[in-house]
Amino acid sequence: MAGELQSEMQCAQVEALLAEILDGTLQGETLTGCEAHQQSCAACRTMVQEARAGMHWLNALDEAEPPANLVHNILAKTIGALPSEHAPVKQRGEGWLEKLKGRLAPMFAPIATPRFAMSFGMAFFSITMLLGIAGFHFADVRHWDLSSKGIRRTYYEAQARCMRYYENMRVVYEIESRVRDLRRAGTPDQSAQPQQQQPQQEAPAPNQKNPSKTENRQHGTRPQTYSRDNGEPMLATFPAVMLAAIPQARQNRRTA
Amino acid sequence: MDDNQAVNALVRRCVSGDAAAWQEIVQQYHRRIYNICYRFSGSADDASDLAQEVFIKMYRTLGTFDTTRASFMTWVTTVTRNLLVDHFRKGKYDRITDSLDATPGDQEDGLTFADRLEDKGASPEARVRSQETQKLVHEALKRLSPELREAVILRDLQDMDYKDIAKVLNVPEGTVKSRINRGRTELARLLQRNYKQAN
Repeated sequence: MAGELQSEMQCAQVEALLAEILDGTLQGETLTGCEAHQQSCAACRTMVQEARAGMHWLNALDEAEPPANLVHNILAKTIGALPSEHAPVKQRGEGWLEKLKGRLAPMFAPIATPRFAMSFGMAFFSITMLLGIAGFHFADVRHWDLSSKGIRRTYYEAQARCMRYYENMRVVYEIESRVRDLRRAGTPDQSAQPQQQQPQQEAPAPNQKNPSKTENRQHGTRPQTYSRDNGEPMLATFPAVMLAAIPQARQNRRTA
Repeated sequence: MDDNQAVNALVRRCVSGDAAAWQEIVQQYHRRIYNICYRFSGSADDASDLAQEVFIKMYRTLGTFDTTRASFMTWVTTVTRNLLVDHFRKGKYDRITDSLDATPGDQEDGLTFADRLEDKGASPEARVRSQETQKLVHEALKRLSPELREAVILRDLQDMDYKDIAKVLNVPEGTVKSRINRGRTELARLLQRNYKQAN
């Protein structure tokens, strides 16, 4: 039986049992078979010898001695407290500031790292640069009027600036002009109907074609000189027309 | 109460906020964790920093320790190993394939491994015991691939059994044995080949 096992033992089996061979846990026929195979197979014999040598090298390594302050550092970084044998002598008259520092140190330990400091610095630099580009300067802060009146005035000035910026945008004019054109194109008869009804009413005086402001106030009408009404169609891209349309557009928005 | 139960009770005390229990855990395990870090990183300074990181991680995740899954020792070793792998996965300390004729620490005027191993008058056992030879073995260990290195460290330096190593490395037991065998063989070849070259 043992002879059969010896003859059947292959290199792969010896390799699979290598850990047990080195641990000395093989027994009986398996151990005999492995030993017999090693005697006949030089490659397996070398493999076992090398692995055994490596194990001896590693087992011969001594345990490394940790630094003396390792436990102290670990406890300081985790619970912020020090073991009695490692704790420094507590000084007399320790102030509340030291106590506060001692309590806060563990809380801020995760963020008190070089990486966090570098990230914070980069973020601060970026924000400062963006504010500088936007026209904000910290030196101007002392010139600010922080009274309630001044703050209110600043608010209205900023609002008016925003409104002017919005109303002076070319795209706003173009969109408004297009909308007016579309409305006019969608309701062609509404503009013609009043023209037909006008002859039935009292014919206006010749100077009513272009009435003065005083006359308009008396008649309760306002000058209709813009393309929104029955005037000539306004070209949205023509700057002069757009400039003429600005006051009416403002008036329309306010009334709306 | 056996050791495992005592450690589990210690952990429960620590989780419930007992600072003294945590101090006891640190006192018990700092040497082991430091040694794993030292043998894996090869540097005493790195090992000190890594051991502190391991304990910080342990302190934060101690509540996740499940006594039914593994012993506390296995859990501690797993935490250590995972942190080491994360730390060294960045590529900085991946396998170094230096020639055996290269000088350790990239010192141009330093001795090669072959020179340092050369000690014709002493027996192998005497050389192993010498401090210089320990450095050589330590340097050779650093030159193993991380997979082989961690396996032989846990087995031959930390005396863990194959089952626990398999849990720590999250690989089958057969793979653990294979890595240990290959690690031992490669280390022996690394050292013995240079010794032969020196002679």
